[in-house]
Amino acid sequence: MSDIPDLTQYIMTGTKYLLPILALWILLRCIRSMLRERYEPETWAWLLDEDGAALPVCHWESIIGRAASSDVVLDMPGVSKLHASLQRDGDGDWTLSDLRSREGTYVNGEEIDILEPVEDGDTLEFGDAVLTFREIDADERAALERRRNAPGRFIGPGITLLILSIFQAFLALEFTITAQQEYLFPICLGFFALMVMEWFCYLVTRSVRRTGFEPETLAFFLTTLGTAVCASGTPEDMFKQTIFIILGVALYFFLGAWLRSLERVKASRFLAAAAALGLLAVNVVFSEAVFGAKNWLEIGGVSFQPSELVKVLYIYTGAATLDRLFARRNLFVFIVFSAICVIALALIGDFGTAVIFFAAFLVISFMRSGSFATIFLAVSGAAMAGFLVISVKPYIADRFSTWGHVWEDVWDTGYQQTHAMSAAASGGLFGKGAGEGWLKDIFAAETDMVFGVVCEELGLILAVLAMFALIALALFAVRNAAQGRSTFYVIAGCAAVSLMMVQMGLNVFGSLDILPFTGVTFPFVSKGGTSLVSCWMLLAFVKATDTRRDASFVVSRDKAPKRRYEDEDEYEDYEDGSEEAGA
Amino acid sequence: MKKVKRRATAALLIAALLVVGLAVYLVRLADNGGAWASYFNGGTPGGTILDRKGVVLYTSDEDGHSFAADWTTRVACYHLIGDAMGNVRTGALRQFRDKLAGYSFIEGTTSGETFSLTVDSALNAAAYSAMAGRNGACMLIDYTTGEILCMVSTPSDDPANPSSEPADGTYLNKCLSASFTPGSVFKLVTLAAAIENIPDLFERSFWCEGSAIVGGSTLTCTGAHGTQNIEQALANSCNCVFGQLAVELGPETMAEYAEALGITAELQLDGMDVLSGSYVKGEAGSIGLAWSGAGQYEDLVCPYALLRYVSAIANGGEIYEPTLLGHDALDGKTRLLSADTAQRIAEMMNYNVQNAYGTWVFGGLNVSAKTGTAEVGDGTSHAWITGFLNDPEHPYAFVVVLEHAGGGLANAGPVASAVLQAAVAAY
Repeated sequence: MSDIPDLTQYIMTGTKYLLPILALWILLRCIRSMLRERYEPETWAWLLDEDGAALPVCHWESIIGRAASSDVVLDMPGVSKLHASLQRDGDGDWTLSDLRSREGTYVNGEEIDILEPVEDGDTLEFGDAVLTFREIDADERAALERRRNAPGRFIGPGITLLILSIFQAFLALEFTITAQQEYLFPICLGFFALMVMEWFCYLVTRSVRRTGFEPETLAFFLTTLGTAVCASGTPEDMFKQTIFIILGVALYFFLGAWLRSLERVKASRFLAAAAALGLLAVNVVFSEAVFGAKNWLEIGGVSFQPSELVKVLYIYTGAATLDRLFARRNLFVFIVFSAICVIALALIGDFGTAVIFFAAFLVISFMRSGSFATIFLAVSGAAMAGFLVISVKPYIADRFSTWGHVWEDVWDTGYQQTHAMSAAASGGLFGKGAGEGWLKDIFAAETDMVFGVVCEELGLILAVLAMFALIALALFAVRNAAQGRSTFYVIAGCAAVSLMMVQMGLNVFGSLDILPFTGVTFPFVSKGGTSLVSCWMLLAFVKATDTRRDASFVVSRDKAPKRRYEDEDEYEDYEDGSEEAGA
Repeated sequence: MKKVKRRATAALLIAALLVVGLAVYLVRLADNGGAWASYFNGGTPGGTILDRKGVVLYTSDEDGHSFAADWTTRVACYHLIGDAMGNVRTGALRQFRDKLAGYSFIEGTTSGETFSLTVDSALNAAAYSAMAGRNGACMLIDYTTGEILCMVSTPSDDPANPSSEPADGTYLNKCLSASFTPGSVFKLVTLAAAIENIPDLFERSFWCEGSAIVGGSTLTCTGAHGTQNIEQALANSCNCVFGQLAVELGPETMAEYAEALGITAELQLDGMDVLSGSYVKGEAGSIGLAWSGAGQYEDLVCPYALLRYVSAIANGGEIYEPTLLGHDALDGKTRLLSADTAQRIAEMMNYNVQNAYGTWVFGGLNVSAKTGTAEVGDGTSHAWITGFLNDPEHPYAFVVVLEHAGGGLANAGPVASAVLQAAVAAY
């Protein structure tokens, strides 16, 4: 018996140093896999001019115009700067939309408005430019597919997931030493469920022949940290936490599958907007105030935060396809919609979420309009609104007056921040060990001060890696923008990562007194059912930007060849090849 | 698509801001991590503080904390250690919290650590007894190493049984965080300036008839000292001579020396801020300037700064910065004044004791000193004495100030003597 205590000491010390190493390894593998792949320029169609010279169409959604920022540049008289948009859908059908050009756009001599179908061999006129539309043929199509990169060839996602599983196993092992006897079972079950879930997800994506699993791995990594925080601070809620993770992952797959069809998305955007406004309205009317903000709604004994789900709907509504991007009316409607959302949140008193929405609004409206003037107007409007909120809501003004002075009043207004900073500092680089901290016993530690808990128990290195995991997702989404299938996916993906990053910034820096304390959650890590579910749903938007070959289940496989090619055998060959590459 | 692709980089701006914010945090953490980490550590920091002889002054673990066993030691070291509530800003419990809690950037907090201070609690007790209930400050330092051997401030309190209504100034360590009108001890500053700026100072003969007219007002002296040389003027503590020297040197030179000798400089002790004194420049040729040269007017001096200056005089013009934690390696001396000037002032301070104060004041020890009786305007005076022991075996410099206690020699002198005797007997 005497060597048992010695053993626990070895385990605690060993895992303490092992966990950051494993986490760094996971992060580096994911980043390398996500960012190393080189994107080849893809050609999806040709525009042939009268001399037979060919202009490549490199995207599914392209702008044709005189401006250098157009995707197909026609420097000829009569062509407007942004003349028309040429779009391809998932079925391989092409449409042309006029962008209110001066001279108009013609297909086979007929003037068109928007979403006019275009077929191989059609003659397109933009001002003085007369071009013949030519789809790529079967050989080009096959060559294109071969050139595209498939993830997982150099860095196996299965290995990365295995490392994550080892990480989780060691984390659970620490808890078997530090946790109270009565909570051992739920904690171990929670970690076990996490492992089962991630491998199940992995097998599901493999079964539909998709090999990209880095965004999911990063999200599972962050969720693992969240599970550790829950196990440490509120082990009695482990079952609940596990159920919310399952729900979040399920909704992630649902939303991802839903996003596959752009037609379906386009048709349901107004419904989503209505749902968002409806949820907020219900929230304003029925919710009960919990610690200042009236953002909790209880239905049948389960409480949830509608504003978290509105985040997903908001991005769904806010992103737009290219043909709608240049209509001022659409942007105006979006601004009104955003204003209603932010005002509703201000009424609810959820100041932090209002800020997050506003940041998401800035990103979306900038990506839609590209106009700094719009942004400037929005920011000055928000500044005035913010001033109003601060003067009306005294507890928010308190938070601002405390900002930067938390050490002057450690037992009252600076209580949470100073305790978070103190605990974070006492953890050092490697932490005190899972379940060994004291910050977890303080109110809202596992949500608002979660960075402090992670720093204290698991160490600064892991906490910083958690931040970088989210930043890596953001870089991934931005990088994918170049090859996005539709501006809808690009805008939604970038808005989703921006929203999560702003939320993380407010959470982390708010608890460290670098920003005012707003009480928002750290995506995936903070405990909180609805927040966790909404983060997993936002991840679906990121997944939709991933157009590497056979990487993302959200991006449907190209159906075009199947329907058009006479020679079915050739297509089968190509598909076999892809499986090989993915293995 | 190209447009949207370009605009997507806006998201990178947010990522960049996150990295900047993180960098800000890491810098702050590196700077303040120790103070943060040990702030809430079970209320009081864990660890043990010893004096230079190994006497436990404070110790704590999971079960609680305790101070020195002996009442006199606790009260005499109250300001050195501080109390559990953190009332004494310069107390070791607050200032060396990170050291006590065993904090490092890499490991975070570890189990509490034990460390020693340079102070001898027995000397503190001796000083506390000698001060006999009068308010003020007393310090003793080894001027060859900069180690502070004694540091007492009164009124004091018992940290183990804190008073519910502490007297005014209880929470203030007057050695470090208070400044007083210096009176004649400031003449050591005027003297240094005069030696280095008036070439014929030592050939001069000064005349004092009990008062002098400066700028149309009367500068009063402690007596009519008649004809004196500079040595005798210092021993007599002649206001007429030092007032007129200040006028001759001018306000700029006086202020420059007050700064260079550390009286008005921003000093630190083991990283904690010490209160700076002040020297307000009187107008050239004015009575204010004259009085400022004699340590009155608007002059204010912190005992710590004066002790540091006198240590430099004793140690050939340069010192190792004073410390409570001890120096790991003796390097980086600070020069305050030239060796030659220091030598001359030291000799003159010795002349004071031999010819004016009497060696019996210090029980036969070979001491060099300067007294001060600083008028504070309400009819009372602060009693000052500062100086050092001329003994290579016992290289101690001291400063004593007793508030509203009357004459410097009569009141502060015996306190200094008691501490010196105790120190010589102990080492």
